[in-house]
Amino acid sequence: MKRKLTLTISVLAVCIMSFAFTTIQQPKPWPVPEKNAKMANPVKSNAESISAGKALWNLHCASCHGKKGLGDGSKAAQLKTTPQDMTVASFQSQSDGSLYYKISEGRDDMPSFKKKIPDAEDIWNLVNFTRTLKK
Amino acid sequence: MFIVSACLVGCILLLQTAVYAQDTTAVKEITTPVIAKPVKNTFQSVWIIDNQTVMVPIKGTFELDIQHRFGTVTHGYSDFWGLFASSNMRLGASYAPINNLYLGIGIDKYDELWDGSAKYAIIKQTKGKIPVSITYYGDISYDSRNDPTHGIFVHSSDRIFSFNQLIIARKFGEKLSLQVAPSLSHQNSVNGFYVKNDSTGTTIFKEMKHDHFALALSGRYKIGETTAILLNYDQPITEHATKNPNPNLAFGFEFSTSGHTFQLFMGNYTLLNPAQNALFNANSPFSYNSNGTNVKGGQFVIGFNITRLWN
Repeated sequence: MKRKLTLTISVLAVCIMSFAFTTIQQPKPWPVPEKNAKMANPVKSNAESISAGKALWNLHCASCHGKKGLGDGSKAAQLKTTPQDMTVASFQSQSDGSLYYKISEGRDDMPSFKKKIPDAEDIWNLVNFTRTLKK
Repeated sequence: MFIVSACLVGCILLLQTAVYAQDTTAVKEITTPVIAKPVKNTFQSVWIIDNQTVMVPIKGTFELDIQHRFGTVTHGYSDFWGLFASSNMRLGASYAPINNLYLGIGIDKYDELWDGSAKYAIIKQTKGKIPVSITYYGDISYDSRNDPTHGIFVHSSDRIFSFNQLIIARKFGEKLSLQVAPSLSHQNSVNGFYVKNDSTGTTIFKEMKHDHFALALSGRYKIGETTAILLNYDQPITEHATKNPNPNLAFGFEFSTSGHTFQLFMGNYTLLNPAQNALFNANSPFSYNSNGTNVKGGQFVIGFNITRLWN
């Protein structure tokens, strides 16, 4: 009986300890300079812009962020950081300027796209497309 | 004086008020003229199977190429449709030091052929203004095989080939892009023999001409955002005394990612140098002679191009 009790307490202790040291991976804050965050989107979000953005999304972004922007792309598991889920409010509440800045500059696993997508209009098209991912 | 100044200030203020009043009643949208931009992504890669495309990557782009051509599929299972046969490969690297210019270097397994290339975008298709994109492509190559006895090359310059091509392309909508590319290949040395060599003079029979004109027709049709069907046809134009090269017919698929382009195809060209392909293609696309009998169907090889871009 005493042995069973010791075993139960040990198992419980291990469980508690493992929970205690488990942290939920929170995305690292990504500050955007104010002037970039306030930058107005010069490209009107229409079918043409969204279609152009979708083509770029499938070529450059879907492998990590997933086809629907859930952060579940085929490469996501190999990354050190978790790709952003773009369907959630915390992402969608960001300004167009902030998204433009993040796509252009990149950080950690997320590459900079300002040379891969050299035309600024295309990055705005991509920003317009990411708005369609909202749940 | 004070009264005059006061009147002036008053008039200015009145005018300003009037302007503001007008602004609030009739909002006039300020429109800036839209500057037409060149059409994007006529092709996804600098390659379309065996030819260059009109595409020139932006300044600062570095590219690595791996190209492979296997043996002909004619032997079937015995060499697994050429995949286990002797193959040809090329490794290449390119860089864009300024916008519209692309410089490259590469080496082929066949003939240990080094090549240097330059590509320049002359005109870019622009909606409503310019109907096509035009790019120049030039390539010079050097056969670096060891030849200590000069059994193959009498002069060092005999090792050199050059290739000049004007690439004209148009993107028709989002899916279809077509390209036509006339080219001039040059070989510094051709095989020949004396037909006449006596006191009255000499006449040399040359198996081939030094220069060779050809025309390449290529097309890409996108079947998805990152996949496309490719088609390529090269027609020799110059007639030589002997050893006329065969046309080249090639078809395949292209798969693209953010940094890579993969092309997997079948075609007749087995060499990996544009001048040598145009001058020496021995594989026929339609029928060929085997042990004295005419065999219908072409001599195709399976091949692939892999490009990796860093920018």
